[in-house]
Amino acid sequence: MKELPLAEMRNIHKWYGKVHAVDGVSLTVNKGEILGLLGDNGAGKTSLIKVLSGYHCPDDGEVFIEGKKVRINSPAEASALGIETVYQEQALVDLMSVARNFCMGREPVKWGGFLDKQKMNECMIPLRAMGLSIKSPDILVKSLSGGEKQGAAIARAMHFKAKLVILDEPTRALAVKEVSKTLDFVERLKEANIGVIFITHTLHHVHSIADRFAVMDKGKIVKEIKRDEVSLDELTEVLME
Amino acid sequence: MKERNLGKRHEVWQHFSRVASFRETIVFGITIGLFVLFSVLSGGKFASSDVIGIMAIAASELGVVVLGVALLMISGEFDLSVGSVSAVGALAGAMLYQLGLNPFLATAIAIGCGICVGAVNGLLTVKFGIPSFIVTLGALMSWRGLVTLVTGGQPLIFRVGETHPAFFSVFQGNFGKVSAPLIWFIVVVIILGLLLHFHRFGNHVFATGGNKEAARSMGINTNKTKLICFMIVGGLAAFSGILQSIRSRGFYAAQGDGMELIAIAATVVGGTSLFGGVGNIVGVTLGLLIIIFLQYGLIMIRVPGFWYKIVLGIIIIAVVIMDKILKQRGKLT
Repeated sequence: MKELPLAEMRNIHKWYGKVHAVDGVSLTVNKGEILGLLGDNGAGKTSLIKVLSGYHCPDDGEVFIEGKKVRINSPAEASALGIETVYQEQALVDLMSVARNFCMGREPVKWGGFLDKQKMNECMIPLRAMGLSIKSPDILVKSLSGGEKQGAAIARAMHFKAKLVILDEPTRALAVKEVSKTLDFVERLKEANIGVIFITHTLHHVHSIADRFAVMDKGKIVKEIKRDEVSLDELTEVLME
Repeated sequence: MKERNLGKRHEVWQHFSRVASFRETIVFGITIGLFVLFSVLSGGKFASSDVIGIMAIAASELGVVVLGVALLMISGEFDLSVGSVSAVGALAGAMLYQLGLNPFLATAIAIGCGICVGAVNGLLTVKFGIPSFIVTLGALMSWRGLVTLVTGGQPLIFRVGETHPAFFSVFQGNFGKVSAPLIWFIVVVIILGLLLHFHRFGNHVFATGGNKEAARSMGINTNKTKLICFMIVGGLAAFSGILQSIRSRGFYAAQGDGMELIAIAATVVGGTSLFGGVGNIVGVTLGLLIIIFLQYGLIMIRVPGFWYKIVLGIIIIAVVIMDKILKQRGKLT
């Protein structure tokens, strides 16, 4: 029997006033698959993923998670369904400690809602398993490099058993070394059988790790291609068309 | 030898920085410096037990509001209406005391009025996306106007102190050498300190003020967090107004006028970021002490009253500039 897709969007429409930002998009993501979502600025990528991450309700269309029809009304509901969104500059709070960031929104508590500091400090285990050499759970996130921040956000998603991780421009504004580190982190998600939607403008970053690409233009999916079927140059041409 | 001394100094600094951040250390130094300065300039009068007692009451009544304002500012919002809300709370209390209602129940209802006003401020801010600066500026004016409309600018005198001495003792009595308002202030410091620094809610407040979108994407209801902060400020402002009116045995129309700016000044001087996400209860308490020391110290050394505002203004700007410079040098968060 064919395995159900991890997430499926059917005929999604989203309007902002008179602007038809998402125009009848249908898209699937499978477990352990990295889907590269590509397109120019204003193509509708962010609007589409905001439907999945609970920021916007679609005006029309259906969303299925593991075959079950769902309506995602808030990021909290998306999180409860195992959907984590990691925004490039908005994944973590710079002025909070690593431990407080890691447990943000899912703080381990003792009686009366008071924080269980010992359990919060256990965040160092998944962070170290991810290969991050963060000295202490008490250091501020702002002292981490861009790549380390992405790694910490991805480690957090894995630790809290995310099924689908949406990465919005995870390699933007990163140094070359940091990009390679971040791409390694993304591959760790795939190894853990987690589905990934990787949104980017930088084709050669996503081309090296994605299994499939979906290209958006003017709110529509204009092309879906498997990586084996397309070279980096051909993919660039598709985007330029 | 020199190296050993440097090493030891580094060790002492490291130990100190574990219990207090660089910012609090500076604010603590300024607080102590002001106390010593005014004590010397006033010939010791500033450090007398009488003056300290008066300052303790003033600091406590203002302090409960300052703590609330700081909490809200950490969540990324402002409340300019605390002075007017304190007047609303005090007026509601005074009217209910005059009606002969049980004063404890009347006080609870009056604090409830403050919480409701805070809730309205919060709802307008989060539901309509109006900047809290504008919402609470409007609230400052309209509630002050309403208070004047209801009272006609006349004071409302009540005798709850005589009819219910136990009630008076709870809010304005003395327990040994400690005044009741100081005890209330310490209670609020402990509750808000625990809530902000050791409770899940505090983590949500810092996350909401530090990066609202990151907090939202992790499932934190940032609107609810802000709304609760607005309600806490409203309740505390009303409580402050009630404490003042019980002490003066009546409500006066100008009560709480200008409180908002002093509260924001104490909060900022105490190291709370105007942009949210940064602040702590210890720093805010020290900021409050600096404002009170300035207010009373200048009086004690017989400097004309307008100098207080001039010095306060300069200190606020100087603190923000110092904050910026230290941030650029990487000494502060």
